[in-house]
Amino acid sequence: MTLSATQADGADTARGRYDGYFRPGYAHRDIYTAQDVFDQEMLHLFGTTWVYVGHESEVPALNDFVTRTIGRRPVILSRGKNNGLHVLINRCTHRGAVVCRQAQGNAARFVCGYHAWTFGTDGKCLGVPLSHAYGPDFDMEAQNLHRAARVESYRGFVFASLNGEVMPLVDHLAHARRYLDEWIDRGDCLPVVVRAGSMRFETHANWKVIYDNAGDGYHPPFSHISMLRVFARRYGDVDMQYYSGNFDEAPLISRDLGNGHTLLDQRPSMHAQSAWERQHVMPGREKMWEALSEKYGEGPAREMLDASTGSGLNLNIFPNLLIIGNQIQLLEPLAVNRTVVHWFSTTLDGAPDEVNALRMRMQEDFPSFGEVDDTAQFEACQTGMECVPEMPWIDIRRHMNTDAGHRGEDGIWTEPISSDQHMRCYLDAWRRIMNAGAARACDDA
Amino acid sequence: MRVPHGRVTMPDGTFDMPFYRRMHALVQGWQTLDEIPADRLPNADDRAACERLLHLEARLIDGLRLEAWLALFTEDCAYWIPADVAAADPARFVSWEFNDRRRLEERVERLEGGRAFSQIPITRTTHIYSNIEMLTHGQDGMEVLCNFLIQANLLGRVSQRAGWNGFLLRRTEAGWRIVLKRVGLFDADLSQHNNSFTL
Repeated sequence: MTLSATQADGADTARGRYDGYFRPGYAHRDIYTAQDVFDQEMLHLFGTTWVYVGHESEVPALNDFVTRTIGRRPVILSRGKNNGLHVLINRCTHRGAVVCRQAQGNAARFVCGYHAWTFGTDGKCLGVPLSHAYGPDFDMEAQNLHRAARVESYRGFVFASLNGEVMPLVDHLAHARRYLDEWIDRGDCLPVVVRAGSMRFETHANWKVIYDNAGDGYHPPFSHISMLRVFARRYGDVDMQYYSGNFDEAPLISRDLGNGHTLLDQRPSMHAQSAWERQHVMPGREKMWEALSEKYGEGPAREMLDASTGSGLNLNIFPNLLIIGNQIQLLEPLAVNRTVVHWFSTTLDGAPDEVNALRMRMQEDFPSFGEVDDTAQFEACQTGMECVPEMPWIDIRRHMNTDAGHRGEDGIWTEPISSDQHMRCYLDAWRRIMNAGAARACDDA
Repeated sequence: MRVPHGRVTMPDGTFDMPFYRRMHALVQGWQTLDEIPADRLPNADDRAACERLLHLEARLIDGLRLEAWLALFTEDCAYWIPADVAAADPARFVSWEFNDRRRLEERVERLEGGRAFSQIPITRTTHIYSNIEMLTHGQDGMEVLCNFLIQANLLGRVSQRAGWNGFLLRRTEAGWRIVLKRVGLFDADLSQHNNSFTL
């Protein structure tokens, strides 16, 4: 039951190349399991839209760099002169070797290990050994590392696009911008710093299986029952215990932020009167409270410690940036059924040491007690989809026909937390972008 | 479901800022250690007792006897899996896990509750400790460094974990007990798969 290209194209040539992968309330497994779809995603999706590459605080000083990917393309995010940010295609213009092979560092120039072709932090070709052999017309400038066509930072979040015609980043972010602002400004507006390490989980699943889960407000009481039970039994009615009974009636919402971006907002339930008071116990909780309340008084201490708790936001910015709690998650597709999920932890510049230490322990809490169980589900989904060709359709119907949605006063479409609108929204954006890419490729041919 | 770990026992002094400074200094000491100074070499009896503790610890994990395993840890213990290989300050740098006693009990309770999907089916392990080095830590303490190799099998897939453990042990009335187990995966800063079993 694999959709062939001709089936997907359909008899109706006005339909897009990828329309056949969808029917109301369902998506076809091929978008998760087919090698050709994955290859086309790397080309048409990651190759044309805005992709998150890193945070400015990861490259604070001149010549700092980190290496990342755009789809599968290796890229370098570097800090050049005049505070400039560069996103370079990390492939030598000579024989194709990956030039910079370190995850991060500080370097004034990048030297390819193969034949020592040398490039500046802005990609400019600075040296080619024995270049006389290329003849008198050799043009050094034509040997520069390729650069992302567009690089923009939104308040520290650096995005790049290989497509010079892409819309401005703020337009792309659409309503996600408001929630990104709220997340950034949460800790008394202290600057968020992304230099506190990361966890990388490699998962045997398509990258979209993970994106699916990021906006899935249906699974928590079931997938995470082991974690929720432990905390309930020990600490009673603390954060996340609201996932019981008909939790669609709790003040928990799913929102369509446009362009495939979505939000799960758990703040009213998670934080209630005081995020700090609601939070279950992290290592060091009592000691840090003692230290800060003694030094600053209970009121200010409580406010400072609020910033050590999870944000209550799951902000999903299509296709590869997921903000969860206080972490920045980045999806790195390795293959059609292999993905690395990077969890970048964050500190607050200028917050008391106690707050940042608690933030570290807090940011280990869900990955070790929750993400591991999610990962088991990702891999189970991938296996089931890959191995049962007779059942090609994936169900994304929740709250499609319940009339439970409404448009908020801010114009944002809002549904109960357990809705599948997250998947419907981003797959719609996926289909639009992929269809456009396929149409362009057709025109070019 | 059994409820074996209902107690919440937290002695004073754990996981405050001085604790983090002590931990950071301890690990920095390990990472710059050359030959063990003669005045820190343990006597044969203590060395043998500590070695027995390590072997028991590994055996209890592999036998999935996690409650008995927990009993080897002190009330002010820590079970720590860093996410870096550079001895970063754990107060400012994230770890895979940095559990105090209470969090460690929660970890075991989660695994034994029958609904932790990351461990259904359960990961089977064989722990091998080798290259064991010991140095005294004050009158009643012992620092132990050892390499570990964990052969694991989950869902029929065999995989390995490797690295070095840093233990801080304490002589108590009940015998030697674990104050710190720091599991230094040699690739802690790179991608990991499912490490939700007991390392």
